[in-house]
Amino acid sequence: MNFIHRAGLSLWAKKGRSLLLILLTAAIMLFILTGLLIHSAADTATTNARKSVGASLTLSANRQAAFKKMRQQSKPSSGSRPTLNMTPVKLSTVKKLTKLSQVTGYNATTQTSVNAKSFSAISTTSSMGASPMGGKMGSSSSQGDIQVNGVTATRLVDSFSTKSAKITKGRGITSADANTNHVVIESELAKQEKLAVGDTIKIKTTSTKKVYKLKIVGIYKAASTTSTQMGPNSTDASNQIYAATSLANTFKGSSYKNTADSVTLSISDPGQVSAAKTAAKKLINTSKYSISSDDSSYQQVKTSMKSITSISNKIIWLVTLAGIVILTLIVMLLIRERRHEIGILLALGEARWKIVAQFFTELVFTLIVGLVIASAGGQVVANKLGQQLTSQTQTTQAQTMSTQSGGQMGGGTPGQGTRPSGGMPGQGGQTQKAAQKTKLTTSIDLTTMVELGGLGLAIMFLATVLAAGGILRLQPKKVLID
Amino acid sequence: MLEIKSLGYWYQSPDESLFNDVNLKFEADQTYAIIGSSGAGKTTFLSLLAGLDQPKAGEILLDGQALTQIGLTAYRRHQVTTVFQSYNLLPYMSPINNLLTALAITESQHKGDVAYAKQQLQQLGLTDDQMTQNVQHLSGGQQQRVAIARSMCCDARLVVADEPTGNLDETNTEAIIALFQKIAHEQHKCVIIVTHEANVAAACDQTLKLSNGEFEWVTQPA
Repeated sequence: MNFIHRAGLSLWAKKGRSLLLILLTAAIMLFILTGLLIHSAADTATTNARKSVGASLTLSANRQAAFKKMRQQSKPSSGSRPTLNMTPVKLSTVKKLTKLSQVTGYNATTQTSVNAKSFSAISTTSSMGASPMGGKMGSSSSQGDIQVNGVTATRLVDSFSTKSAKITKGRGITSADANTNHVVIESELAKQEKLAVGDTIKIKTTSTKKVYKLKIVGIYKAASTTSTQMGPNSTDASNQIYAATSLANTFKGSSYKNTADSVTLSISDPGQVSAAKTAAKKLINTSKYSISSDDSSYQQVKTSMKSITSISNKIIWLVTLAGIVILTLIVMLLIRERRHEIGILLALGEARWKIVAQFFTELVFTLIVGLVIASAGGQVVANKLGQQLTSQTQTTQAQTMSTQSGGQMGGGTPGQGTRPSGGMPGQGGQTQKAAQKTKLTTSIDLTTMVELGGLGLAIMFLATVLAAGGILRLQPKKVLID
Repeated sequence: MLEIKSLGYWYQSPDESLFNDVNLKFEADQTYAIIGSSGAGKTTFLSLLAGLDQPKAGEILLDGQALTQIGLTAYRRHQVTTVFQSYNLLPYMSPINNLLTALAITESQHKGDVAYAKQQLQQLGLTDDQMTQNVQHLSGGQQQRVAIARSMCCDARLVVADEPTGNLDETNTEAIIALFQKIAHEQHKCVIIVTHEANVAAACDQTLKLSNGEFEWVTQPA
């Protein structure tokens, strides 16, 4: 192991040369570390997005099939207006779907409107009175001043899960509230009517004019309590109350028992959305129901991170190749400069491989110091570059998405984005915003350093091996005597 | 100990051979001087004995075994040590480290023995201070003494030296020659010195003159 001692002595004796070598190594390692950190951060972001963003399948009435059926049944000669028959989703069908391995839960939602009886709804000035709904479903629930959102659980509603709406007093609706008269009301409405958790309110249904007593179990604060559009009172965020699906169905009429307007099935792994959709289609009557998937948030993060991973991979490979070329040339120059020394060692009987090993050891020593310097600066450079890359990639992504979704938005309910009909107000854009806010969190850990060290060693080894020809061919007599 | 059989060497073509069909024997416990005019091929001959190059014709045998069989690297490591005219010390080391490196490479029994290395250097008149500073800070004479100490400290049975006293004054020259005699006679080694100094040649047990590619014993071996 004398060659290790010689390597140390040589580096120490030629401090200036060693310092330059260390700085060069540090620069190469810094760029590789930056690439590795961005790569690792992009992987983590994708994994986190997979876990946190999740995905869903939405089961709802097949509107296209319903329209087709309506057109077939309409007789131009009769003069009567054709009616659209939308089949609500049966909860028995949902039970079958929840047995799929990819499905982790579901949220059955039903929307209807009622009129306030024992209290006053928040009033907004509007001259529009026509119901936005049409056909049988719409007519069955003429527009009231309070909108009832029937849900399986409020925590499963996007606006609550993304914290844009939150329970401020009491509790939210849970599956245990099925078949009860428990409701959660908005804080502005509670404030105006001096309502508190535990109080009872009365409402009157729009279809049967029947009066129901409802018990307030929670008060929530909506993200925005101002109406974003001019329209009926029930569109005001403060006039929206949450109840169990069963209660909303009761308000709609007895024919809606054990049904829902739509059901959102939660898929824990966005990668399984396609498989879940295929399996679900086999279990439903596709002429009545349609099933749509929504993993756009995950896809957005994935595409964005894939682009960053690709860039970081290119950085790693380019810098590694450049590092090998640069260091090979430097080692070649070093060997030329130190031919005399190599000749002396050969004359003493030193094995050629040990002389090559001495050069490699010298590079490894510089690598160790270079790694320390790179690890100090790598985090800063990776953070800056990562932010720049994320910003650029997501801007491009957002532009692409807005161009693509421009045509689709028109048919949807305002505020619902590209989600299928039947979603809760304020849904849609929330998860996309979350996806767009995805940040690359770079952190240097042991794995990254081991990976960097391994790449560094590979570069040093290849550079030494490629340049070692000068040592292997060297004849001591030519250097020492000729 | 060392036998040279039908040795031939040339640079360009056999017609311009430096020497041809050389047959010589060198024994242990003897010091040999090789003299000759400049360009006669003394150093080239020495490089063949030192295992730094291979003969173009014939062979060199050590205890009856050809150097090619032993392997030139193994031969250089274990059997021969060379003192060069231009010292050839490792430039980034101190005299002590030069000796320790040689001891490690040659796998000497004194490998890693700092006290032994110091003793060898002291024997050649180097002070403690000189032993630990970089060899490039030493004078030519001091560097030559370090080079001689490096060759003497190893366990090799054959010592070849190319003008080892070229950079030394008369007093040091006498001391070095005495030292070469000592290692030849007391340590039973074979010392072959290429020199142009008459007093050095005279101090050796045998003298061999190289002239026009022919070796001639000036003092016939016993």
